[in-house]
Amino acid sequence: MFRSGWQPALLLAPALLLLALLTLYPIAYSFVLAFTDAEYQSDALTFVGWANFNTLLNDWFFQQATWNTVRFTVSASVVQVGLGLVLALLFARPFPGRQWFLPLFIYPMMLSTLVCASIWKAWMHYDFGWLNNLFDAVGLSRQPWLSDPALALWSIVLVDTWQWTPMAFLILLAGLQGIPQDIEEAATLEGATPWQQFWHIRLPLLRPYLFLALLLRSIDTFKLFDKVYVLTGGGPAFATETLSLMAYKQGFKFFNLGAASAIAVIMLAIALVLSLAYAWQVMRRPS
Amino acid sequence: MTQALRYSVMIVLLLFFTLPTLWMLGTAFKPAGEYVGTGLSLLPHAPTLEHFISLWQQGVGQRLVNTLVVALGTTTLSLTLAFLAAYALVRFRFPAQLDRIFLLLVLVVKMLPPIVVAIPMYRILRSLNGLDSFPGLMLSYQVYTLPFCIWMLLGFVRQIPVDLEEAATLEGAGLLRRLTRVVLPLAAPGLVATLIFAMLLAWNEFLFALLFIQTPSNFTLPLFIATFATENQTYWGELIAIGVISSLPVLLLAGYLQRHLLRGFAMQSH
Repeated sequence: MFRSGWQPALLLAPALLLLALLTLYPIAYSFVLAFTDAEYQSDALTFVGWANFNTLLNDWFFQQATWNTVRFTVSASVVQVGLGLVLALLFARPFPGRQWFLPLFIYPMMLSTLVCASIWKAWMHYDFGWLNNLFDAVGLSRQPWLSDPALALWSIVLVDTWQWTPMAFLILLAGLQGIPQDIEEAATLEGATPWQQFWHIRLPLLRPYLFLALLLRSIDTFKLFDKVYVLTGGGPAFATETLSLMAYKQGFKFFNLGAASAIAVIMLAIALVLSLAYAWQVMRRPS
Repeated sequence: MTQALRYSVMIVLLLFFTLPTLWMLGTAFKPAGEYVGTGLSLLPHAPTLEHFISLWQQGVGQRLVNTLVVALGTTTLSLTLAFLAAYALVRFRFPAQLDRIFLLLVLVVKMLPPIVVAIPMYRILRSLNGLDSFPGLMLSYQVYTLPFCIWMLLGFVRQIPVDLEEAATLEGAGLLRRLTRVVLPLAAPGLVATLIFAMLLAWNEFLFALLFIQTPSNFTLPLFIATFATENQTYWGELIAIGVISSLPVLLLAGYLQRHLLRGFAMQSH
């Protein structure tokens, strides 16, 4: 530790100023715009009170987008953490070739979302998609993955699971490897079956990591934009419209900045709750 | 779990996570008639470069350069600011828990849905004449890369022993000298790792590029990819081939990236 009056402030200032310019100012600006009828190229603002929020809350499209976002966030996070747990358990112990297999389960999270979405858009094509070809080959019927309103959202959950399970896997693997070996050895000596070990030793010790993984995946899935943009554009029949996509369309297609900002403010409130929970989880640990 | 069950689960999951990419790598070389078939083959029967040639003629080279320029510029700015900030946070005591408040801000920004800041950002860039320009895009990308770099570098700077710096101080070295002669060389591996991951973020970013870049010749790779999958028509051959091109850095670096990811998550979670 060094002590010196102005030096630390000077080192921190550029990053702090840029962060403030790029986030605090925009957020304050969104709050103002959310209470106006602002439009695209004009800078004149008329305050309309809560009108934007009232309209939104009674708007079927907004309700649909919220419902879709909630369903997507919850189901994608849970599926990814579940699958990540299975992978982490498989990789927790050494086996031949482990270091060669590991990258094969991790690389999807580093691919561009646009690339993932492109691959799966092709795989989910009704007529020649690989997935339907596979279904044909094993005697199942072809599925309208992205064109059936009842199925499209779950297809996007599948694509997100493919791309982001690796993240849950890595968090849970770090957690499993942090469990002291002697606890497990002692349990084995005491005659605990593998199943008992999992339920009574590993799972309780993993709980904070499961929480962390769920939280991180929820924060991320809540933003869903790119995948929907490429895979369905929000359709069919608004079945995959998300809050991000709706804010984008209101702001940058219909030039309705007031409504777009109101959606942004609502999203911000939800994201803030999630990220404060995350910050609390991460920062309470002594470092 | 019994061995047999372990291995079968492993194989099913391995297929799930690798087949789509293997399919992409093969299909990029399939002629038009082949990829619309109903077969399951991953490899092309009559390999062709036609999609890559078509991409080249449509200016994929220019877009690669654009993406690289934006990623490098974005990362250079982030890394510089983040390195100074991370150093200050690790080595100095701040009054009134200002350091913790700063870290909280960083975390919250890291978690923020980018669409939330998009509209005001549009106005900021417009007033700075930064719309449809690389410097403007680099500035907006700081929203992603700056918090990420601060957070990642924090872990690396913490591991640098303070003794060397104290020795340098005794010999009369000031802050600038300590930073450039002592800390920077020791932090180099961490800086390289952070650089690569931050470049990857910028390389893959789509939303801000979509909103702030209009001229096709200024497109980055993700924007260019989207032009092959429009609402009206999808150009499958080009779409899959450009997927291969833009994934090459990740596929080539997969081993290195994975080692750092493992380390990063272990550090973050303990």
